[in-house]
Amino acid sequence: MLNLLRIEWMKIKNYRTFWILLGIVVLAIPGVNYAVYSIVRTVTSGGKGPGGPGSAGGPIVNPFSFPDGWHTICYTSSMLFIMQAILIITLTTNEFTFKTHRQNIIDGWSRNAFIGVKLVEVILLSILSTLVVFLTILGFGFSSSHGGVQVSVWQGSRFLFFYFVQVISYSMIAFVIAVLIKRSGLAIGLFLIYMVVEQVVMGIVTNIFKVSAGQYLPEESTDRLIPFPGIHLMSQAEWEHRIPSYLVAAGIYLIIYYVVTTRYFLKSDL
Amino acid sequence: MDVLKATGGTYAWFGEPPSEKQRRKIGTLLETPNFYHYLSGERNLRIAAAIKGRGMGDIPRVLEMVKLAERKDSKFSTYSLGMKQRLAIASCMLGNPEVLVFDEPTNGLDPVGIAETRETIRHLAREGKTIVLASHLLDEVEKVCTHVAILQRGQLLMAGDVREVLVNEDIVELGVPGGLEDRLREALTGWPGVTQVRPNEGLMQVFFEKGETPDTGKLNRYCFEKGIVLTHLQLRKRSLESKFMEITKETNQ
Repeated sequence: MLNLLRIEWMKIKNYRTFWILLGIVVLAIPGVNYAVYSIVRTVTSGGKGPGGPGSAGGPIVNPFSFPDGWHTICYTSSMLFIMQAILIITLTTNEFTFKTHRQNIIDGWSRNAFIGVKLVEVILLSILSTLVVFLTILGFGFSSSHGGVQVSVWQGSRFLFFYFVQVISYSMIAFVIAVLIKRSGLAIGLFLIYMVVEQVVMGIVTNIFKVSAGQYLPEESTDRLIPFPGIHLMSQAEWEHRIPSYLVAAGIYLIIYYVVTTRYFLKSDL
Repeated sequence: MDVLKATGGTYAWFGEPPSEKQRRKIGTLLETPNFYHYLSGERNLRIAAAIKGRGMGDIPRVLEMVKLAERKDSKFSTYSLGMKQRLAIASCMLGNPEVLVFDEPTNGLDPVGIAETRETIRHLAREGKTIVLASHLLDEVEKVCTHVAILQRGQLLMAGDVREVLVNEDIVELGVPGGLEDRLREALTGWPGVTQVRPNEGLMQVFFEKGETPDTGKLNRYCFEKGIVLTHLQLRKRSLESKFMEITKETNQ
């Protein structure tokens, strides 16, 4: 696998679009969080910013300090999945556009090797994105805890795991679409449309059919792992109770994405 | 090459079932060259060499061989069609494989590109490589190949030396004044190599044995000596396409 990854690296290390998109993914996470942080500070400061001396125990809790920072930053960063999806779709559809997927096989890769290394690439990008979120959390957490961290730094860190589950799920949806559609523009369009369609379907299922199954749709089940900070659609206890079911749903979908992409690529004419 | 999923049949490379290991030992060019447009020619070859498990040391040699050494650092997207094809051949030659597979290697090329590609293939053949070339251009097959196999709907119709299977059969068309056709037919039966004489649109078509090229000057003199004055004499090349049609039709019947 290391040799396969080395060859993948040879493909992308001189690809300017890859570096631009990766740069956007990596910089947008702290950047967008800082923008939200600035807005929150402006709204809540009244001359005294959140996280400032005395605010930790005061009525206004800084959502970017420990322990809430884990939740807030994971939620804010999850808005940026589209950038990672575009990166994955671009890298994958390039192979189909240039027909290099055929050439790689002709030159001596097995079909399993080709699709396998692409899946590993998706996982690595998801790990990278999670790592950037982790560093962003630490950065905001320590910089806004002037009086020293009052709670355990790791309290709330499960949100980072939820973030990883969410980013890999979105990335795999992008990957499935890229493998099936093969064209970059169309795949990105379809990914965006799917995000909207799922919300519409969930609305119909929840409001018209009055069933809660909509929360287990592919994207919604992972979205619910990191609800909007502060405002809960359900009680904290109920959310805690449902976490395992959301994780199981996400796991099942990940298996489905894996089976669909590998079977399709192994069986189809190239 | 594991590009298409076969509905039936079997094949072997080097006497073994096909696998990715076998493919690494074969240089293959299927129709169009497939490379990363944003990378230079050399960087593309590095990827191909890494996949084939070959060292990078062979890259300068193959670039030199296809005369692309000077443009090795240019992006693939800036190459002409002929250059792209030559880079694909260079990629096939990485590691100096004994067997090469070329499918329609001159597809979409301009006349210069076609000539360059054919010359490269002939050059490789002279080096002793086994080259399997698939083509619908019979003229190309005749010019480049030593042996040919004609396949139709998965059936092998004919195989053998290209000079025997796709031999050019020459036809001589003769015109004589009305009433002399039978005399001409009778006279030509004594001419060496003649297999058939038949009327066609007011002329007499004379067919010869395979590989026999008739001397029209001698034929003219022969007819004159037999008291037949020709009003029309023309040597016609029978096209390879018509020969191919004949082979495929014969088998269908």
